[in-house]
Amino acid sequence: MDINQEVTDGMAVYRITGRIDGLTSPDLEQALSSSINGGTSRVILDMRAVTYISSAGLRCILSTAKRAKAGQGGLAVFGLQSAVNEVFEASGFNTVLPVVSDENEARLRLGA
Amino acid sequence: MEHLTLADEIVVLMLDDETGAIRPLCAGFANVAIAGGILMELALLARIDTDLKSLYVIDPKPVGDEMLDSALQEIAAEPRHDGSKSWIRHFAFHKGDLTSHVLERLVRAGILRAEDRRLLWMFSRRAYPQNTGREEREAKGRLLAVIFDDAIPSPRDTLLLSLADSSGVLDAILSADELRKASKRIEQVVAFEEIGRSVKAVEAEIRLQIEIASIARPM
Repeated sequence: MDINQEVTDGMAVYRITGRIDGLTSPDLEQALSSSINGGTSRVILDMRAVTYISSAGLRCILSTAKRAKAGQGGLAVFGLQSAVNEVFEASGFNTVLPVVSDENEARLRLGA
Repeated sequence: MEHLTLADEIVVLMLDDETGAIRPLCAGFANVAIAGGILMELALLARIDTDLKSLYVIDPKPVGDEMLDSALQEIAAEPRHDGSKSWIRHFAFHKGDLTSHVLERLVRAGILRAEDRRLLWMFSRRAYPQNTGREEREAKGRLLAVIFDDAIPSPRDTLLLSLADSSGVLDAILSADELRKASKRIEQVVAFEEIGRSVKAVEAEIRLQIEIASIARPM
């Protein structure tokens, strides 16, 4: 898994490539925590290049969303591939965080 | 025991305070809830992971708990990556009396006492009253907070709610009206975790078998 981070307009955008699973999610969690701990609690995950997500990966995203909300921000994801979208739908994550089609919409949902 | 595992916590919640026995409402599902709790704890300890089709070991290193390590060792030795439902059924139905095993470990940890009580002056049965009840109060408090607060719950509390929902604990600690009002929230949170959904699916299989057996019983 590769992670690239950029901060624009007060929002941290993480562009993730590869698999998010029990082996890689600790690295993702650490990366996401650095934004929230640094005061950027509006977080966007660009998941267009994520090919697989496991339960540990979902847990990492939900924990981060919880912390982002606690910091008066939020977490939005966009660009899910069909296999990853299937996992998100099964877990009902779209009921607690914005799961949208593109970055502009993610920014709007987080109050850009 | 440094802290209670999810399997320990669900057993404490399933106990009836007056009788010191597993509540009748929960008894038929106790082993399934414990099996689910074991897998959930291994997932939270980053030893196993799951997806919609499979459960697999990501780190076979022992966690230092005999019940969890025994399960982890068994999963690690299996070359096929069956799904979580299959492992829940395996541990619940083919590993003996999980409920008694957890009750006895809670006695050893000083959370419960074991008492032999007489029933109708003839039958003897073992009861497990709680020593302080602190663990049950703490777990119930977490469940109620998840149910009646719209915030995103922690993974551990999400999983505990899944077990409580599937084992009948919620029917025991909430009124029918509270349960009805909270049903959407409970459904939402239970869906978050794959192992939680699997525990619920296996519980539904048991309920169906009980219904079929009751229909098929000769009058």
